[in-house]
Amino acid sequence: MKTKYSLLLAALALIVISGCVKLSEDPKANLTPQTYFKTQSDLDASVNAIYIALARDGAWGFTSKETSYFGSDDYTTDPGLNKQDQRDFDRLSGGSSNSSLTAEWYGPWQAIYQADNVITNYSKVNSTQALKDASAGQAYFLRGLCYYYLVRTFGPLPMVLTNLDLNAKPPRADVATVYASIISDLQTAKKLLGTTLAQGRPTTYSASACLADVYLTMAGWPLNQANNYALAAAEANIVIQAGVYNLSTPYDQVFTTNNSPESIFALEYSVAGGLPDRRFGSSNVPLDEVALDGSSGWDDVYPEINFFKNAPVCTRTDLTFYTTLKLIQPDKSFVLTPWNSTVTHAQHPYYKKFRAGLNGDGVNETATQILSIQPSTNKALDVIRYPQVLLDYAEASDMAGGGPTGAGYAAVNLVRARAGEAPLTPGLSQTAFRDAVVYERAYEFAEEFGMRWFDIVRLQLLPAVIAARDPSENSIPAGTVVAQKYLAPIPFGEMTLNPQWTQNAGY
Amino acid sequence: MKMKRILFIFFLFMFAVTLNSYAAYFKSAVKSPPPVTVTGQVKDDQGKPIPGVTVKVQGTTSGTQTDVDGRFQIQAPDDATLVFSFVGFAEQSVKLNGQTVLNITLLESSIGLQEVVAVGYGTQKRSEITGSSSTVSAKEIAKRPITQLSQALQGTASGVAVTSANGQPGQGPHVQIRGANSITGNTEPLYVTDGNIGAAPDDPNDVETIEILKDAASTAIYGSRGSNGVVLITTKSGHLGKPRIEFNTWVQNDQMPKTLDLMGPYDFARSVNNQFESTGQTDAFTQAQLDNYKNNGGGTDWQKALFQKAWVQYYDLAVSGGSETVKYRFSLGYLDQPGTILNTYYKRTTLKSNMDVKLNNRMDLKIILSASLPQNHNNSYGGGLTDPFNQAVEWDPTSPIRDASGAYINHSKYASIQFNPVEQAMSQADDGTATNLNGTATFNYRIINDLTFTSTDVYSIGQNYLQRYFGPGTSNYDSKSDYINNETSKFTGYLSSNFLTYKHKFGDHSITATGLYEVQSGTSMGFVARANSLSTYSLGYYNLALGGAQNSSTYSSDALVSYLARVNYSYKDRYFLTASIRTDGSSHLTKKYSSFPSIGVSWNATNEDFLKSSKVISDLKIRASYGQTGNQNVGAYSSIAQILTPSSQGNYYFNGGMPGAAGTASVATPLGTGVSKSLEWEAKTAYDVGVDIAFLKGRLTFTADAYKNNVTNLLYQKPASGYDNGNTYQANIGSLTNNGFEFSVGGTPVVSRDFRWTTNLNVSINRNKVTNLGGLDNQVVGSGNNTVNAILKVGQPLGEFYGYKFLGTWKTSEAAQAALYGMKPGDAKYQDINGDHAYTSADYQTLGNATPQFTYGFINDFTYKNLTLSFMFQGQQGSQVFSETLAYLWGGLGDMKNATTIEAVPENLWTPSHQTDNPAWSNSSHNYNNSSRYVYNSSYAKLKNLSLSYKVPAAWLQRISVNNLEVYVSGQNLFTITPYKGYDPEINNAGNAITQGQEFGVIPNPKTYTVGVRLGF
Repeated sequence: MKTKYSLLLAALALIVISGCVKLSEDPKANLTPQTYFKTQSDLDASVNAIYIALARDGAWGFTSKETSYFGSDDYTTDPGLNKQDQRDFDRLSGGSSNSSLTAEWYGPWQAIYQADNVITNYSKVNSTQALKDASAGQAYFLRGLCYYYLVRTFGPLPMVLTNLDLNAKPPRADVATVYASIISDLQTAKKLLGTTLAQGRPTTYSASACLADVYLTMAGWPLNQANNYALAAAEANIVIQAGVYNLSTPYDQVFTTNNSPESIFALEYSVAGGLPDRRFGSSNVPLDEVALDGSSGWDDVYPEINFFKNAPVCTRTDLTFYTTLKLIQPDKSFVLTPWNSTVTHAQHPYYKKFRAGLNGDGVNETATQILSIQPSTNKALDVIRYPQVLLDYAEASDMAGGGPTGAGYAAVNLVRARAGEAPLTPGLSQTAFRDAVVYERAYEFAEEFGMRWFDIVRLQLLPAVIAARDPSENSIPAGTVVAQKYLAPIPFGEMTLNPQWTQNAGY
Repeated sequence: MKMKRILFIFFLFMFAVTLNSYAAYFKSAVKSPPPVTVTGQVKDDQGKPIPGVTVKVQGTTSGTQTDVDGRFQIQAPDDATLVFSFVGFAEQSVKLNGQTVLNITLLESSIGLQEVVAVGYGTQKRSEITGSSSTVSAKEIAKRPITQLSQALQGTASGVAVTSANGQPGQGPHVQIRGANSITGNTEPLYVTDGNIGAAPDDPNDVETIEILKDAASTAIYGSRGSNGVVLITTKSGHLGKPRIEFNTWVQNDQMPKTLDLMGPYDFARSVNNQFESTGQTDAFTQAQLDNYKNNGGGTDWQKALFQKAWVQYYDLAVSGGSETVKYRFSLGYLDQPGTILNTYYKRTTLKSNMDVKLNNRMDLKIILSASLPQNHNNSYGGGLTDPFNQAVEWDPTSPIRDASGAYINHSKYASIQFNPVEQAMSQADDGTATNLNGTATFNYRIINDLTFTSTDVYSIGQNYLQRYFGPGTSNYDSKSDYINNETSKFTGYLSSNFLTYKHKFGDHSITATGLYEVQSGTSMGFVARANSLSTYSLGYYNLALGGAQNSSTYSSDALVSYLARVNYSYKDRYFLTASIRTDGSSHLTKKYSSFPSIGVSWNATNEDFLKSSKVISDLKIRASYGQTGNQNVGAYSSIAQILTPSSQGNYYFNGGMPGAAGTASVATPLGTGVSKSLEWEAKTAYDVGVDIAFLKGRLTFTADAYKNNVTNLLYQKPASGYDNGNTYQANIGSLTNNGFEFSVGGTPVVSRDFRWTTNLNVSINRNKVTNLGGLDNQVVGSGNNTVNAILKVGQPLGEFYGYKFLGTWKTSEAAQAALYGMKPGDAKYQDINGDHAYTSADYQTLGNATPQFTYGFINDFTYKNLTLSFMFQGQQGSQVFSETLAYLWGGLGDMKNATTIEAVPENLWTPSHQTDNPAWSNSSHNYNNSSRYVYNSSYAKLKNLSLSYKVPAAWLQRISVNNLEVYVSGQNLFTITPYKGYDPEINNAGNAITQGQEFGVIPNPKTYTVGVRLGF
């Protein structure tokens, strides 16, 4: 009998055991799209994800974001060391397998992916219309901005305006279609965003400022639609007339403080928060500079010699370039050494404006000593500064009509005044004025994250830039088809995943 | 679903059979003749008593075991036959015919066709097995001072490739059975310990036998977890008799097997000057400095500074004994293992209790409780750019470790851009402790003589606690990414295996049927608390409130429900058939249930008349099998799309941070990359044919197997396009094959009264080939570790290196041609496949392969009286390694600035007058590419073990009431024959089978010297 009971017990136990085990899954610690987008905080957290996608280290938080811009004269890098990715583009020889180039591709695309998510879902949230609009406005702005960077770097793009199924393989749409979408996004953002300045977030003026630059670019290569000059001037004028931005900050402090009155849109960084900006600090410091605490420079990025030599003589130039290296000696004293001394590793000038980071959290130094050199800074990355709007306006108003206008002169002279330059010669021809503004842009925005490179692209300036190059720069191989170098190649991995695409010519 | 239902019905049917048989048993209870008491002693061929031998009355279930002195006592009918069996010995049957005292000599059996072995959910005689498996016995394990159980598999079994991941303390090796069966997933076998699936004991001394199941006929019973092979472990149990105490200890000295030949300060300074001169820069070191280095030395030998000779200690104490009703074995083990680089160690305390309780004549219960308490300190140097071990060979030999004030010198102008390796090693702390508890209860109920119900129930709890300090003195602090963290995780697991075994013999036919219902579930959860930029680090990692907080937590739960039916059939003990089908239902997949069938046949010719009389062939068995298994390389929640809550970069700071302050955090929840809706297990279809032969009564044995394995539904982290958020998602993409041949030859070439030589050679040959990649052909895979790319290509094996082919240097006579590439004589020359006068990714080609042509183990034991000399060689042939460590020594690659290898001294580099193939210093960026220049032959033969042991004669010991005493000295990895110039051809830091063979800064296996004692009371 006893055994019979144990058998029954065993059978019962089996039934209990099988009852306990469920094969359905409940990921208790994970959020899923099915249960999300209920409250404004869900929406806020989704919007914040767009910023991180763009700002993070593998995207715009490091020099790798600028890899394809090294073809420009305000960028060069070491002939050796671990700088091959940038050096290849400096020599106009970058290829699709370049592993740093991916930051330029994935950064904006990942931000677009998050923006699409917000734009698709923001209306589901239980919140006020004003709050929802403010959230959606940021998403539209950032999506427009990202497509703008992508289209100028890579040319035709797939139009992905909503999150896709993984098996969908969209074609590359032509550049005009991409620009139409960018304008639509920025116009929507302009309507949805408010006028109150809030650090780290775009306003309706940020959208206008971006639109002005987009129209100006559309007037140049490859679309060459001259009717956009007027639209560019009009959008820039909205920002100027609003009177909320100014150039009261001394030029050097624009790069050592955050949120100056000329910052129209910036990405924000926090070292302690795990989101450092590594574009400032060590990246810009010569390899041979070693600080008192033993930290040293990375030698990632500096200007070409003739770009420096051709700079206007003014305080801005003095504040921009770093021309006397401080080389530490065994007794911890520093020997001040000119950049072109053969004692130096690169024999190039460097950028001063990117050294300090925020209040010296990059390079902490005096005139005769370097205390420490840090790669991770809290410096906000200004994506749009007010001088861009002024110079966009000056150029657009000049090119839209029959030459320079008084307001155009006023705009460029505002920038020149802060730079310590005399007002621009009056009575210039339309082209001479345009060229003067483009020259002004080159030095106002020297090495600022592609500004100069995109001017070279839209105005097709590469032959002139190459001609001006010092022979000691990294050599451009004979037989390089310069006309094919205005666009970067689509990264190799992306081409493999999208066999329906054709690679840009020349790659 | 259908299969699940069928199997469940089968299980219920087995239950019905149970009940019926039970009833029948009572009806047909038969009276046996009156029993007599039989006593005796069991000894081996050297006359030593064997404890623990199972003594059974044939045809019944009653039995006993021999005690410490090999003695037994049993009640049996006077016409009964007694069967004596013990692992590693040939089974012996003795008909009593009225005898009441038996003295038995059991003979060791190398091939062990008569021995009873674990097969999973039961045991079988080896002669009846249709599948392919290998055994490693406690005796073999005891020959080496093993710290991790999986090391016991190295060199001891054919078809099993064991390679050390790295030489850190506490590190277990990689085990691969018959090649890699997954391209990105786990390729390690499934461990099953005493019925506990997915668990392996920590203390090797607790292990009785290891059975390695290799073909599908053996592994298909483990269904979706069987495709990498299965390692069945049986732990030691108590013996009948008075308490027996065993004490086992050894002390070991571990050291680096070699140092790399690097420049001293003088050569280094010359080399830096040579480099500076190439770009027109003024010399870095003055002639006076050079002279000083030349005459007075100075600087630092960074290898010497970072390495240490470590004293490892191991202790194991076991008490065992038992009566007819209760047998027990308790053991306590302790390992203290410092590493071969500064400030690293592994410590482990293990406790184990095995109890066998005979509840009544029909029921018995086995209860195993085990605890393992490992402790790690800085065992986080798995290889890579920033590891101190890697930086030590890249560091500036002219730089002292500390400055005049005694402070560490963080950076050196001519070193790599990383961080002082000695300072990093001494300052950082990465401490982990774990508590792993496990209880296994196995209940056996012989319902009737033919039918047994078995239930194995396991409950496991694991808790980890990690503490990390990366404050002042670490590269993290130096780059302002300093932090401390505390993290903990908890795991609870439950397993219930319930099966009925029906054994019946009718005439020449014998059948064993097994029906199983099994459930397994596990839940893990944990959290990480991290603080950045602490205001003070004086409290180490103990106070998280001193910095900005960053927290995250995890939860994961899963379940597996399984059904298995297995039938073993034999005819006349000559023809055997095994057929099984297992259905696994898993929570991980959208399609929950999958089934895995197998069939195996064998012919044991030993019992055929024509062999019975043979004096030459004593055993002959031929086997063939087919089956399907799976690989559970899909994690929980893999098919559920997610909104992410990343722990790093999880917040955005709209007001920006200030130095030392984070600003106001705004939580971000990005949408994750999409998921595949149709994930399946990787499925392996395996075919095997094999033969087992023993000649001259086991003096020479031979086992060989040929196999063909096809793996389909290969899982791959498929890259998503940028517009799909980039990153990767898991998808089934393709298939591969592993075909191979393996054999082992064993023998006892010499046996005399005082001398005995036994030997075993096992050889494994495996050919791996990717056959389909679902359109992702020529997938270039970065190792994520700065090393060369690998390529996945249809028709090629896994582990292919992919990059430029190095052709030496451009010679002066080739100046014009070099100029087409923007290069000059003295620069590196590579093969330009497409002839476009540029080195681009179009010129990449396959450069070598990590998988060996064959691997082998060669074991020999020479015993003279009480003295035994053993040695084991283990090796591989025809494999290659890509050594980024050696590549970096040439300078210029990655963040490495100056060469440190002695081969890069100025007179070895290209000059117009001495045109070597070592490129001169140059501005050409292509001199420093990853290329075939750093691919090396990694074939090796290692003296894995050499030991000399002495058993103190029993006669001497009796006086001091010691049962046995054995002392030994041994050495491991004493020498390696290899053309490879790096530290160790065996190690690499491959993340998966694609990038195997890539090595970067991996700590080598130590060379060790051991002294040990085994003592029994």
